[in-house]
Formats: sequence, C-alpha cells, structure tokens
Amino acid sequence: MNASRLFGTALQYAFLGLAAFLSIFPFFWMLISASNTSIDIIGGKTSFGDAFATNVTNFFTQVDVPLVFWNSTKVAVLATVLTIVVSSLAGYGFEMFKSKARERVYSLVLLTLMIPFGALMIPLFMMMAKTGLINTHIAIMLPTIASAFIIFYFRQSTKAFPTELRDAAKVDGLKEWQIFFYIYMPVMRSTYAAAFVIVFMTNWNNYLWPLIVLQSNETKTITLVVSSLASAYYPDYGVVMIGTILATLPTLFVFFVMQRQFVQGMLGSVK
Amino acid sequence: MADVRLTDIRKRFGSLEIIKGVDLSITTGEFVVFVGPSGCGKSTLLRMIAGLEDISSGELTIGGTVMNDVDPSKRGIAMVFQSYALYPHMTVRENMGFALKFAGMAKEEIERRVNDAARILELGPLMERKPKALSGGQRQRVAIGRAIVRNPDVFLFDEPLSNLDAELRVHMRVEIAKLHKALKSTIIYVTHDQVEAMTLADKIVVLRAGIVEQVGAPLDLYDDPNNTFVAGFIGSPRMNFLNARVISSEAGYITVALASQPDVKLSLSAQSSAAKPGDEVSLGVRPEHFRPAGQGDADLVLDVDVAEHLGNTSYVYANVSPDERIIVEHEGFRSADSRDRLTVGVSAGSSFLFDSAGVRIR
Repeated sequence: MNASRLFGTALQYAFLGLAAFLSIFPFFWMLISASNTSIDIIGGKTSFGDAFATNVTNFFTQVDVPLVFWNSTKVAVLATVLTIVVSSLAGYGFEMFKSKARERVYSLVLLTLMIPFGALMIPLFMMMAKTGLINTHIAIMLPTIASAFIIFYFRQSTKAFPTELRDAAKVDGLKEWQIFFYIYMPVMRSTYAAAFVIVFMTNWNNYLWPLIVLQSNETKTITLVVSSLASAYYPDYGVVMIGTILATLPTLFVFFVMQRQFVQGMLGSVK
Repeated sequence: MADVRLTDIRKRFGSLEIIKGVDLSITTGEFVVFVGPSGCGKSTLLRMIAGLEDISSGELTIGGTVMNDVDPSKRGIAMVFQSYALYPHMTVRENMGFALKFAGMAKEEIERRVNDAARILELGPLMERKPKALSGGQRQRVAIGRAIVRNPDVFLFDEPLSNLDAELRVHMRVEIAKLHKALKSTIIYVTHDQVEAMTLADKIVVLRAGIVEQVGAPLDLYDDPNNTFVAGFIGSPRMNFLNARVISSEAGYITVALASQPDVKLSLSAQSSAAKPGDEVSLGVRPEHFRPAGQGDADLVLDVDVAEHLGNTSYVYANVSPDERIIVEHEGFRSADSRDRLTVGVSAGSSFLFDSAGVRIR
C-alpha cells in the first residue's frame, strides 16, 4: 500500500470515527446522566454514578408512566397505520390511474411539502377549536394522516410494481380494491415496513403540534412530559434522562425489529 | 372452448388510432398467432380481447356473446403474460389455485384441478416453492398451469417465451404445441418471432400499424404473400427485393429485367393487365430459393460481402449492385470469403412480383 493510499484510508477511518462518535456520544451521555444526580451532571461528570435507581423511582413518582405511554403508543400507532393506509392508497392511485388532471393534482400535493408547519399551526388550531377537537388525540392525528412525503414515497415505489401483476389479478377476477389489499400490499411489504419506521418515529417524536393542542395532563404524550420535566424551575436532569431513555426505547425497538425490511424498502420492494 | 369474432374493432387513445378496424374470425380449437413488428398493436389487440383495454368501437364476441363491456374474469379467458406475472408472495400451489379460490370454488375441486395441471406440466416437486425459487422455464410452466386450472374457453398468450433463452424457448414452444394438441382449446398467441408463429399456428394474423395485412395458414403466407410486408416478415432470413422494370406484359406472363443487371430477365406467370411495360416493380426472391448457377431461369452475378457459415448451410450477404444487398442461402459454400464473386440461378417459379406500392402482382 503506497503512502497516498494509506493517507486516504486513514482519512476515511478518521471521518467515519468522528461520525460514529457524534452519533453514539449523545446516547452514551444520556446513559451516564441517567445514573448521576443533577448536581453531578451540571458539574460535567462523564462517568457512571450510583443515582440510577433513585432517578428511576423519582421519574415513576412524578409521572403517571402507564398513562403517558398509553397516550403516546395510541397516538403513534393509530396515526402511523392511518397515514400508511391513506398515503399508500393515494400513491397507488396516482401511479396506476391515468388522467389529464393527475399530474396537476400530484404537483399540488407535492407543493404542500414546501409549506412550513409554522404557517399551518394557527389555521389548524382554529379548525380544531371550531370542531371541538382541542385536547383530544384525534386533533394530533388528523393533520398527519395525508402525508405528502409518504404519498410521494409510495408513488415512486409503485413504479416498480409490475403492471402485469395487476392485469393478472384482473383476469383472476379481483376488483381494484382487492388488487390493492391482496396483491399490492403483500408484494410491497418492504416499502410498507420502511414507511412504518419513518412515520412511527415521526409520530412518536411529534412535539410541537401536541404541545399546542393537548392541554390536560391526562392526554399528554411522552415528549411533552419529558419536556415539562426539563423546563421545571429546578429541573432534575437525572430524572429527565430516565424519561429520555424510556422515550427512545420504542423507536429503537421498532427500528431494530424492522431493520432488514427498512433497508429493503428504501432500496425497492420488488425484485 | 369457444369461437372468437372481432368485427371492426378499433382502439383510440385520444385522437391517435392504434387499432384501425380489425375483422377476424377464430374458430373453436384454433391456434391463432398475432405476429408483427414492435408497436403494430398485436398486444393491444390481445389485451382488448382479454378485457384489459377498452374497445373504442366495434364488437367482440366470445362463444357468441358480446363481450365488449364484460369483466375480464367473466369472459371465459385465461392469460399467460410475458413476465409470467406470478404473485411473488404465494407458492406455486397458491398461485395456481388463487383465481379458483377467489371465485368461491370448493376446496376439493381446486385441489383436483391444480393437481391435474401440475401433472400435465410436471410441476409436482415445485408446488410448495415461491416463484423466486424457480427458473424462467419453470415460472412459465406455472403461469401456463395457472391458466389451465381455470379451464377457459380461450387461452391468451402474450409473448410468453420472450424472456427465455434460445434453448428453453424451443423446448417451451414444443410444450405449448403439445398442450394445444392435448387440450384442443382455442388459443390466441402474440409474438414478434415469426419462427414461433410458423411452428405453432393453425392461422397467422400479420399486423402492421394496427391493420391486419394478411390472415392465413403459415405455409399459405409463406407461399403466397399479399404484399412486400408479409413477404418480408414471414420467412427467415427475410425475402430479398430486387428493383426491376417490366419489359413486356402479355399472354399471362410479365417479363421483367433487373435494374442493376438488365441482362437478367425473368418471365413470371401473372395477369398481364396488372402491369405494363416500363413499370417499376420489385422482384421478391427468398434466400433459400436461389439455385446453383445454370440451374435457374437466369443467372445473377454477386459480389460477396460477408458469409455466415452455420455448418449445414451458409448465408451469403452479397451485393447485386453497390446499392442493392441481398442474402443468399448457399449450401456447400464454406470457403467463401469477402470480395469473392458468386453466380447464382434465379427461378421464375419461386419468385414473386410486387408493384411499386408493394402489392403483389399475381
């Protein structure tokens, strides 16, 4: 190996090492902080402490953990399932049905990607207020169901779905909705898995919109609870980090369970 | 089994007409092949029969019933696709039985039909496999099996062998021919491969740009083509067309001289009124119809360009003149090299005459 190639390899490893450090360090810091007291954390302690059990006890004392997790799980799972069903139907429709208006409508859908959420917050809040949905979980889910990005993702993936499968299914006697549920969905399961991971993470981590529409403690999700712990007058950072760990676990679980399908889905479902 | 009748069938996409009025009658048990170059509309026509494309105008009947607006699954057809179109998430058994299960057929009857088809197609050991674990030929057999179990009136094949390698294609061609013999069913088969058309068909329908150019038995099309398109399309290598001029036209014979070699004159049996002296025509000669020098009605001198030696025969690509290149099948021409000069005989009896519009002069 000559000197310039050695230097290039060393540079690659240095870059990858830095990227790995930047990715892993927050988790490492989170675990260290969860085992220390607030005073140790503020003091910059970077080793494991012995306050883990105390922090856990305090977290469970201060937070109604089953209720908060139930709220987050309910909202994230329902919103994810609804988003995927609605957006995949739209993506399938945009790709399969040809009409003169199709591309114009699709462009409008994509245009909504350009509108920042900040511009939609007030109109959405007014809509929710007028329909009496403030402080309900439906109010969190409704605006997320028709996702322009997921529609785009499904339309692009549907391009790889063989049209002859659809033709064969028609000859076999299936109606369009049956083709969608019996043929398209199983064939595109990797695409669905990847979409599930993306949408579930987005919904689980959703913070701003729930902060606006959820007003009572009974409806709050984990992100709001952790945030409220951190913004207390004297925040207990050890307890906050326990909350952060617990809030991270479900998304990690979903990702690791669906990792293979996620990668397949991002590369294309149909081989 | 049923007959199929197409009456002035047309297909339009906006102002563009793809199928321009097809009239066709297919009798029960007949093996009909739609053949033509890419984009001629043969697959569109098949999809219209299947119900996968709407019919813009005209009438389609299967077994005497008008099928224009009938759902594909209710037309009594089964279709085999070019890419097999097997459901990738189902096993071979599930693929074959899916349509029957969906139609609400009893489990025992599905099992019986699937097993019968598997036996005919020798699919027994593959029944629990998924399509991705099968070779191309096996997938195609499963696709055919999926069609067989439906016991359709009409089988539709859309270029089913195009994705297979040359050897497997020949094997599957024989399998399909055997299947037709065994089932005695009506088959409509689309291909752009004229060898498939010639070997499989009872009747060939030659299409060009949405129009039926000629319908007939394979050898009838080979022996008696209506125009230069059919003459060129049927037969491999394709027919040679030599520029010629009519010298005389009388007593049931038309005598022509080649434009490039005026000494080469041939008198062909044809209606004298079809051409008059001075008319420009094309003389069609198939590569396999050239004779050794002196054994035809006239001799043609060629400059050899390239020779392909296939073992049993050789194809010689040669120039009649700098602008006219032809192919000659020449047995025992193994030592030929480029720039050799070759003399071959042409017989009037195996040549064809076409007018300047490409229409056959008979």
